[in-house]
Amino acid sequence: MSTATPLLSVRGVTYRYPGAAADALHDLSLDVRAGEFHAVLGPNGSGKTTLVRVALGLVAPDTGAVDLAGRRAADWPRRALARVVGVVAQREDNLFPQQVRETVLLGRYPHLSMWGAERPADQAAVTRALERCDALGLADRWIWTLSGGEYQRVRLARALAQEPSLLVLDEPTASLDLRHEMEMFELVRTLVDRHGLAALMITHHVNLAARFADRVLLLADGRSAAQGVPAAVLTHDTVERVFAWPVAIAPFDDRPQMIPLRQPKESA
Amino acid sequence: MRRWLGLGALLAVAFVGAVVLGPAHVALRDLASSDIVLSLRVPRALLALLVGGSLGVAGASLQALVRNPLADPFLLGLSGGAGLGAVLAIALHVAGPWALPLAAFAGALGAMALVYRLGLVGGAQLDPRVLLLAGVAVGAFAGAITTAIVSLAEAADLRNAFLWLWGGLSGASWDTVLVMAAYIPLPLVVLYAAARPLDLLALGEEPATHLGADVEPLKRRVYIAASMLTAAAVAVSGVIGFVGLIVPHITRLVWGHRHRALLPAAFLAGGALLLFADTAARVAVAPRELPVGIVTALVGVPLFAVLLRRWGGAGARA
Amino acid sequence: MRRLLLASLLAIVGCRPAPDRPATPPVAQRIVSLAPSSTELLFALGAGGQVVGRTTWCRYPPAALQVTDVGDGLNPNIEAIAARRPDLVVLYRSQLNETAATQLARLGIPSVTLAQDRLEDIGRAARALGRLTGRQTAGDSIGAAMEALLRTPAPAPIRRVAFVVWDNPPMIIGAGSYLDQLATLAGGVNVFHDLSAASATVSIETIVARNPDVILVLSDSTAPPAYSARREWRAIRAVREGRFIMLPADLFGRPSPSAPAAVAALHRMLETEAQR
Repeated sequence: MSTATPLLSVRGVTYRYPGAAADALHDLSLDVRAGEFHAVLGPNGSGKTTLVRVALGLVAPDTGAVDLAGRRAADWPRRALARVVGVVAQREDNLFPQQVRETVLLGRYPHLSMWGAERPADQAAVTRALERCDALGLADRWIWTLSGGEYQRVRLARALAQEPSLLVLDEPTASLDLRHEMEMFELVRTLVDRHGLAALMITHHVNLAARFADRVLLLADGRSAAQGVPAAVLTHDTVERVFAWPVAIAPFDDRPQMIPLRQPKESA
Repeated sequence: MRRWLGLGALLAVAFVGAVVLGPAHVALRDLASSDIVLSLRVPRALLALLVGGSLGVAGASLQALVRNPLADPFLLGLSGGAGLGAVLAIALHVAGPWALPLAAFAGALGAMALVYRLGLVGGAQLDPRVLLLAGVAVGAFAGAITTAIVSLAEAADLRNAFLWLWGGLSGASWDTVLVMAAYIPLPLVVLYAAARPLDLLALGEEPATHLGADVEPLKRRVYIAASMLTAAAVAVSGVIGFVGLIVPHITRLVWGHRHRALLPAAFLAGGALLLFADTAARVAVAPRELPVGIVTALVGVPLFAVLLRRWGGAGARA
Repeated sequence: MRRLLLASLLAIVGCRPAPDRPATPPVAQRIVSLAPSSTELLFALGAGGQVVGRTTWCRYPPAALQVTDVGDGLNPNIEAIAARRPDLVVLYRSQLNETAATQLARLGIPSVTLAQDRLEDIGRAARALGRLTGRQTAGDSIGAAMEALLRTPAPAPIRRVAFVVWDNPPMIIGAGSYLDQLATLAGGVNVFHDLSAASATVSIETIVARNPDVILVLSDSTAPPAYSARREWRAIRAVREGRFIMLPADLFGRPSPSAPAAVAALHRMLETEAQR
């Protein structure tokens, strides 16, 4: 674990959407360093996506500060920021019929000059990104022929083609089947361990987050319900309180796993 | 590479045809010295190239901006504004040979500003869907006012103003060509510089932002540059429909979606299409002349259908 | 019971005959004229006092301006016409007016539809309106004058002409128009006489190629038209040399009983032009 400047530093951030009754985020702090895999968990509406938008400088917090690679988020020009942070957003509506290699090449945009053409170095970066995502075999496929899992890997490859130091993923495994979900988490873990990236992943999947992530932030109503290593965050009382459902916590591989309990209705 | 050579050859043929053919018979050996050719046909052919090219590029850019393949440069209310400007100029008896084009241009810009203002939601963000709706609304509104003025008008002149709006290159002269040639490079350069970010925009505004595009300034620049091109085209040649809609689709079938190739191809293809159409308009029912907008539709649709069948396999999906 | 039902049914369903055209009165006293040429004709017949309604475009003779304006002559405003309580409506023959006659008939208003596009139409219209207004002599006299005019052999051609009525797109007058007839009678040769339509759009280069000696313009001002300053129009010799003849609207704006005077005026103007 490095002690260098955090790639993402969120300090005491509070944000309320205009006209909303309550804060979407309240006094949140978070540090993500190189070689760390952070997961953000929480029920729907707890502020996970808002946190990502604030962290990326898309929205200015009402109080608090956000620094990316040591610089205020609001001060980062978009293109320069894209060389540091790669984002796999929740949704993408790709209007292009494209081949995989072409769509990953779009990730080289922050490295291209305005008028210059793509260079061999760019194609090499694309190939490297596809390799790391185990998607090199898909390079010449048209994207509409890909399965959900394959397309997610391609989108991750595009983010990697930006050669970022920080990866931000917003629910990358939603609608993927078990195998592809596991593959995605393994992939992110490998990128963090082997290539020194920092990763911040929003996910619904409490158990996989507990297994793979180094640190977890559990959000509830925009506040930090608990923050730290998975074993410290995913305790029985905390989880039941946040998710409003009875659970049992059982360890597996030294990590806590959450098992929801049944709550049969009273028979009439 | 072959595709570019083919397009270049097509454009050359179109240009030569426009100069050699016409309702007045000019013998081949007299071409270089004929006044008709030098003062009328050559500038008219150049204007067709510049106008057709501008409409092609504007159409491709706007389709990317509003993420809608059915967008046409004239869908943004510019033609309505131009028509209103022209009719007002006639009604108010504004003098001068350039009165009509300048008034039309001013009207188009007025419509552009109004549509832009309406398209701004939440303060500073341009919403492409609202832009489209605003364009249709402004165009219809301006059209209604124009029709009202014309129907209440006293002079037959005003009724003829509608004929101008139907489009035609009869106003072509070396003066018009030089003005157009001096004017369009800036918006064209702005749009070409936006070519890569437009590729990113196809993924959606947020993914484009994450990949490094400054989306709000990009939308503004593209909208304004494309509108300026369209306003100039309308000012010099009225509303020539269909070119801005069809040319981007035809060129996409062959060159794909990458705008760095698509925009230049759309310029050349738009120029070629309008050249062919104008030659046909002048020659088909000689000595009479057809409105060129009708010919662009009659030429463009079958062309599109043929290309769709040949190349439509992978390229036309999604 | 059944018979009552059947009768009611028939009454409801079937028996509304088409309105018969009401008969025109022996001498029309309250005429609504729905075309500038028929208004001019009625005044020329001396029947101006019998006209109670005219269109917005009927401005000649000046006395016509005193008559109540009832709106457009094409797709006319039936209510405004009816408000004048006419005993005769004179319609301009056009597809757009086909329903107007029926609508007027339903209101019990007699109407007559007259073609008014060519010089021969004026003679016929003069005779018809003469009969309808009790001015038969005047009507026949105008009719005879028009027929005489049309029988006059065309003089030797003095100048080749083109009528340019609009510049963007360029519109010229063809053989179908009364203006072409006037030109021929005055010694002008319409370079676009081979086009049978009344008007048509052409390319500027066609005008250049046909090289008229003079351009005829319907205009009350003496200033040359705005397009004469434009570079592409100056490819036409007549434009470069400033050879325009301005034709005042009162005399040339519509087929009119003043046609003989118009022809004479045009003949004089062409001769003057030829000597420049």
